[in-house]
Amino acid sequence: MSTEHADLACETCGRTTDHEVRYAGRLLEWTRCTVCGTHVEVTPRAMLPAYARDLEQRLASKPGRMWRRWRRDPLGYTRSLPAAIARQPVKLAREVWGLVRR
Amino acid sequence: MLAAGDGTRAGHHTNKVLLPLAGRQVFTWSIRWARLLPGVAHTVLVVRDSDVEDVRVTLDREVGPPAIDVVVGGDTRHASEWAALRALEPLISAGEVEVVVIHDAARPLASSELFAQVIAAAAEHGGAIPVREQRGLVGIGGTTVPDESVVTVQTPQAFAAGPLLAAYRRASDDGFVGTDTASCMERYTEVAVRCVPGDARNIKITFPDDLFLAERLLAKADYDLSGGLEHRPHPLRDLLRHGPRPRGAR
Repeated sequence: MSTEHADLACETCGRTTDHEVRYAGRLLEWTRCTVCGTHVEVTPRAMLPAYARDLEQRLASKPGRMWRRWRRDPLGYTRSLPAAIARQPVKLAREVWGLVRR
Repeated sequence: MLAAGDGTRAGHHTNKVLLPLAGRQVFTWSIRWARLLPGVAHTVLVVRDSDVEDVRVTLDREVGPPAIDVVVGGDTRHASEWAALRALEPLISAGEVEVVVIHDAARPLASSELFAQVIAAAAEHGGAIPVREQRGLVGIGGTTVPDESVVTVQTPQAFAAGPLLAAYRRASDDGFVGTDTASCMERYTEVAVRCVPGDARNIKITFPDDLFLAERLLAKADYDLSGGLEHRPHPLRDLLRHGPRPRGAR
């Protein structure tokens, strides 16, 4: 789960306002206008299959992404790899738990 | 590639083109599709001064070589376009750039095919813009708007480099600020601007719903708008089933 902020147009406010944008993994989960509270979200029923499909795509593209990062900085990437691998199960569990508990 | 926003609002604001979208930031998607074309040699990214460092980090992570020139834009779209053209000026003057393509980074779903179409049309006619017909409009007071008279204009827009640079030089001298690239070209040159068919998927991220739609459209296209230019093997393709099974399959 991660949260970003960005200026987007709000239909309720009728102007561009700051929005909170929440992600599950790399998928959008919901957005909220910080001025009026207008909330746009994907329902949990729709989110879970979308998350499963996206997870598959993430796994499929992971070797390529790892290779590109290694080519950019072989030493630095190799050093960071054990910690990154160790973090993955916890990261994944948090994402899934965040979706299921909705 | 224009990623500086309109700059008309005051106070703290985060640039929407820096938001993550399906694993990449919004602005790097269309850079990816454009640069798959063999004729696209130079890319200039126009950003806000406050975004320069973030953008460089993202480019390093998400976009490979050749390097992209990052320049700081102005308060208007016109000023940002002028900043990009000044960055390209030595190359245009040396005859190394024939066509300049201007694209709004908030349109991440502009496909390689659309870039190719506007570049080809601009190389032949001098200018090209993608448009979509806007049917069924009714004017205020109930007047009917002829279907063939209204279109919505998208980016990428492409123009012959020499006349484009000359037009923006004259606009700079006159203090003219155009609403888009085509308006400046039409004011200062005789270059014909052709319309090419736009793409319904080529949405502009404006409302929060647009982010959700863009994400779904990318997923539907299997994250590939290259039109076959980018071959991405899918190692799990043969192991996992996708979509409904064919009729008769068990």
